[in-house]
Amino acid sequence: MAYDRDLSFVYFGPTKVVFGAGCAGDVGVEAAGLGCRKALVVTDPGVMQAGLAGTVVKALGERCVGLFSDVSQDTGMGVVNRAAAYARAQGADCVVSVGGGSVIDTAKGVCILLTEGGGLENFEGIQLLTRPQTPHIVIPTTAGTGSEVTSMAVILDERKGQKILIVEHFNTPRIALLDPRMTEKLPPLLTASTGMDAMTHAIEALQSVQREPVADGLALHAIRLLHRHLPRCIESGADLAARGQVQIAALMAGWAFGNAMVGLAHAMAHSLGAVARVPHGIANGILLPHVMSFNLAEAAEGYAMVAEALGTPEGGKGGQEAARSAVTEIAAFLGRIGHPLRLSAAGVKEDDLEKAAALSLSDGAIVNNPRPILAVDEVLDLYRRAF
Amino acid sequence: MANYQAMTQEWLEAWKQKIAGSKEYQEIAKNWEGSVSIIVNPDPERGIPEAIYLFTDYWHGEVRDFLICDKAKAETAKFVMSGDYVRWKQVAKKEVDSTKALMQGKLKLKGDLTYVVRNIKTVNKVIDLLCEIDTVWPDGP
Repeated sequence: MAYDRDLSFVYFGPTKVVFGAGCAGDVGVEAAGLGCRKALVVTDPGVMQAGLAGTVVKALGERCVGLFSDVSQDTGMGVVNRAAAYARAQGADCVVSVGGGSVIDTAKGVCILLTEGGGLENFEGIQLLTRPQTPHIVIPTTAGTGSEVTSMAVILDERKGQKILIVEHFNTPRIALLDPRMTEKLPPLLTASTGMDAMTHAIEALQSVQREPVADGLALHAIRLLHRHLPRCIESGADLAARGQVQIAALMAGWAFGNAMVGLAHAMAHSLGAVARVPHGIANGILLPHVMSFNLAEAAEGYAMVAEALGTPEGGKGGQEAARSAVTEIAAFLGRIGHPLRLSAAGVKEDDLEKAAALSLSDGAIVNNPRPILAVDEVLDLYRRAF
Repeated sequence: MANYQAMTQEWLEAWKQKIAGSKEYQEIAKNWEGSVSIIVNPDPERGIPEAIYLFTDYWHGEVRDFLICDKAKAETAKFVMSGDYVRWKQVAKKEVDSTKALMQGKLKLKGDLTYVVRNIKTVNKVIDLLCEIDTVWPDGP
């Protein structure tokens, strides 16, 4: 896994980042800077209820031509197609997403359909697009997804009952507005689970078969920031300094995995999302230490770096001992932040596990896992350990 | 051993025979159904004056049509992969992993990625067998 003479990679991260408490209020100025006159705001009912979408609509003023708030957890093709139809009817020339991963990914789908026409089912594939898509400004209201800076969207294909991955460099958001005030009211459990989503992005990027030095650097600092500041956010949601650092960590982890990709924990979490509707961050958090143990021999170098970033006593020593200490610390960290520790506590039924295991084998993330998955039973065994 | 000019019918035939003769492939690919087109974008400087369309078809461990074809035929395949000549050459020489090339935007895929992932061993085996052919490339080694 060490970098060698054959190291060869592409790093892609074109999104402009604006950070600061209150910066969501700059959305109108930023939209104008992109030449946008008619913005569609995409959000979900929870964000609406918290009053966060209203702030953005107000800041956009006359540039806002519509608000689509019908995005659910684990967004699907049907939602994207409906949102795009609405956007077309309003004559939108840019999209502003205000929300978490589902909202952002819905907006990514809308951007494709506004430019290319048709339905999202026509764009299943990788890097199919040949021109820049409708401009997209993201205002995250969770700190975890990293989708504000990636080319990827995960959308549920209702026909197959499986999440599909769309990867399009031409559809990367143009601007991310990271405003700590937008995450201030996030409840402790959601703060913990979205934070663990970011932690999983960072750790899986460091163990990926596609890992590279730029992504490694981003992932390591994301781990440091999450380890230091996520507990503070959970203790005191109004700690804007800590909220901001966790937002930055999530963004850096997004850049890391957007280039180096993720692995088995994500494949398993995506599948549990489709089968048992487990929130993505919670599934990732519960599964992460189990998947790390499974990968330990193949990912020892990366995990030793994780241990150093986590500040474990063994971290500086390198090797298997340091790698094991990273797994132990991640498991302990979950307990400290009040994150669920078992899938059974997250609403998963034992009957769900076999179906999810089978589904995991066809998830795009699995090919990047450092330890090849040879049989469905290996995945099922991991689910059972986490159950 | 014979040498084959890349991206010709003879080259495709040699590749097909390699796959057909592999017992390992037949076992790995027993669940694969469907065709894969490869579109090589024009690159006049490297001896590719216009796009080349290759159509390959696989069915439960057997190989069926392997053809140089036109654009219309290529677009009927279950999976359509396209990219520049230099990228395909890198894949065929195993200098670049095909999955990595897709994620990095070096190649494009139209089709169900989940199916490809579920059968990634089949994809890798087909590429491994291609690498065993002594290929003469239009722009040299």
